[in-house]
Amino acid sequence: MSAVLDFPVKPEARPYLDAFDKGLSRNGDAAPRWLAQSRRRGMTRFAELGFPTRRSESWRYLDLQPLQQKPLLPAGPEPGKHETAARTQLAGLELPGHGPRLVILDGVFAPALSRIGDLPTGVWLGATHRAIAEREDLFREVAEETPGDPAHPFAALNAAFFADGFVLDIGPGIGLDEPIEIVHLASGNDPRSYHTRSLVRLGEGSRATILETYAGEGRYWRNDVVAVRLAARAALNRAVLVEESAEAVHLAELEATVGADARFSGFALLLGGGTVRHEASVRMAGEGAECHLDGAFVVDRTEEANIVTNVDHQVPHGTTRELIKGVAAGRAHGAFQGKITVREGAQKVDAHQLSRNLILGGRAVIDTKPELEIYADDVKCAHGASVGELDEAALFYLRTRGIPDAEARHMLIEGFLREPVEEIADPALREHLLRRLARRLAKLEE
Amino acid sequence: MLEIKNLHARLDDGREILKGVDLSVAEGEVHAIMGPNGSGKSTLAAVLAGRDGYEVTEGSVTYRGRDLFAMAADERAREGVFLAFQYPVEIPGVNNMYFLRAALNAQRRHRGEPELDAGQFLRVVRERLKLLDIADDLLQRAVNVGFSGGEKKRNEIFQMAVLEPRLAILDETDSGLDIDALRVVARGVNGLRATDRAIVMITHYKRLLDYVEPDRIHVLQDGHIVQSGDKSLAAELERSGYGTFAETPETAETA
Repeated sequence: MSAVLDFPVKPEARPYLDAFDKGLSRNGDAAPRWLAQSRRRGMTRFAELGFPTRRSESWRYLDLQPLQQKPLLPAGPEPGKHETAARTQLAGLELPGHGPRLVILDGVFAPALSRIGDLPTGVWLGATHRAIAEREDLFREVAEETPGDPAHPFAALNAAFFADGFVLDIGPGIGLDEPIEIVHLASGNDPRSYHTRSLVRLGEGSRATILETYAGEGRYWRNDVVAVRLAARAALNRAVLVEESAEAVHLAELEATVGADARFSGFALLLGGGTVRHEASVRMAGEGAECHLDGAFVVDRTEEANIVTNVDHQVPHGTTRELIKGVAAGRAHGAFQGKITVREGAQKVDAHQLSRNLILGGRAVIDTKPELEIYADDVKCAHGASVGELDEAALFYLRTRGIPDAEARHMLIEGFLREPVEEIADPALREHLLRRLARRLAKLEE
Repeated sequence: MLEIKNLHARLDDGREILKGVDLSVAEGEVHAIMGPNGSGKSTLAAVLAGRDGYEVTEGSVTYRGRDLFAMAADERAREGVFLAFQYPVEIPGVNNMYFLRAALNAQRRHRGEPELDAGQFLRVVRERLKLLDIADDLLQRAVNVGFSGGEKKRNEIFQMAVLEPRLAILDETDSGLDIDALRVVARGVNGLRATDRAIVMITHYKRLLDYVEPDRIHVLQDGHIVQSGDKSLAAELERSGYGTFAETPETAETA
């Protein structure tokens, strides 16, 4: 390993660089050369960037100090370990039905817990490490896009360390009705980080629905990067359910490119985790592209959750709809930061963004920062934000019908959060997420 | 059933609204409380239901032998007190059926009765729906959200029909209704008259009393009951107005 350093290294990146140089977490020696280079590039980049500070606009609402001070390094994969415990974790989380399910345990595909089943010709679903071996060109194209954005140091770290993930590749003209389920589990046996990298690619006119669930026990850092590529007229519904442990750090980044007349519907339901950041960056690359980014977060005790969205309209006739709802109780902190950019010449863009939040109790905090940046003159763009408390008039109304105070409060909180969930088209998926939401609210500590 | 004695109440800002109200309502009776705007009608309803923002400074209210003010608003409801709101509240995201089942089950739990599951509840609802002209889709929507004024008032009476209170207080249930909606609401109220139930209708106009005939009528003015009588009092008021107070056009009275 090279001990000669010709680039500056931020002190907090040092332990990760050392781990990289020791060759930890790399998926075997047979890795292709382009991959080794891409990992090295990512590592160098992260070493230069280090952790983002709160002066960095897109990280200002998140406290990463504890993670920065106590590194959580990646460890080598241990296939097959902890599967029994994982089965128990999986039990309540599963989406009812018989659709394909791919489980990633401690950052690595777990075949014994998965059920891929028969998929139509033209559909490829499997682990990232297998895609690298079998579908090298497909993965390489995405991996080689340099993770150079200074706002995304962890994407660079992810490029260096990712062990596995999933790849869903659907050829043109194929519609999958049943949702595809991806479950990321952390067994919580010793503190470490899991870096997963995934790719979803839909060919022209194809459509699919996926649910990505993240859950775990104990202390860990999950650093997840997902790339989505939608060809013309493709339609992807992607729901994310986050139920990480109270000690977990969950940093997830979605980076999507939407082609002409294609539609990306992203939904994020953040229900648990010590520190959770869900970022979605969508490039509206084809005319007539449509993007829905909806979401909801619930935080209590000392939890932190951030939803960060970034939609870039590069061409005319695009549509964006965002509805993000947040609830914070206890001493928790939630935040929404959403930016919509309309580039010069991207006329007739229609974009609407709404962030609505509910604070329970005097010690919780919610920040909301919707932002429009418009360089075209013929567009329809609007945004709105509110932070409020439970509606006392509605609470009184419920109580005059005999509903006890605590139950009435729950009904109002749940009613507030249901709206974006009800936008989900697939009925089984919608009901599943509503059940998880109700279960979370039953344990809410106000 | 309900004994109000020398009730004084003021708003949080110190304004005294009720200045010694006396009223006695027996089981099976229907009473109407009439009065001009600002006479204290809605305050009386709010104080009986337990709304925040009012302070009772003097007097007592006994409901079925118990001190009403010793019970929180939700407990009063579980004990059988029902308030039909002048301005029913919209509750986005809370399904009407789900809400009403939660309410009925809260009362059933309180009485030590088994809760109703969705199927059993639906049977209760279907039966009560016959009483009122309510479209099925109203039940599947969020509570009062996007309802017309008439639909909201009908929904109040429908809730009353499902919850079967012992004491129902209808606060200006007739206001803002066209004649057809008024007939439907009146039919609902008449259908709920029962020997073990008392109904107190608060109204500005005599119109409702043409459809729901009260046993007693009281005139509330400046925080006192100034006159009580049988149903013939309504006709008298129609002729002479509310005493020295000139009839004023109806404005939104704060509840």
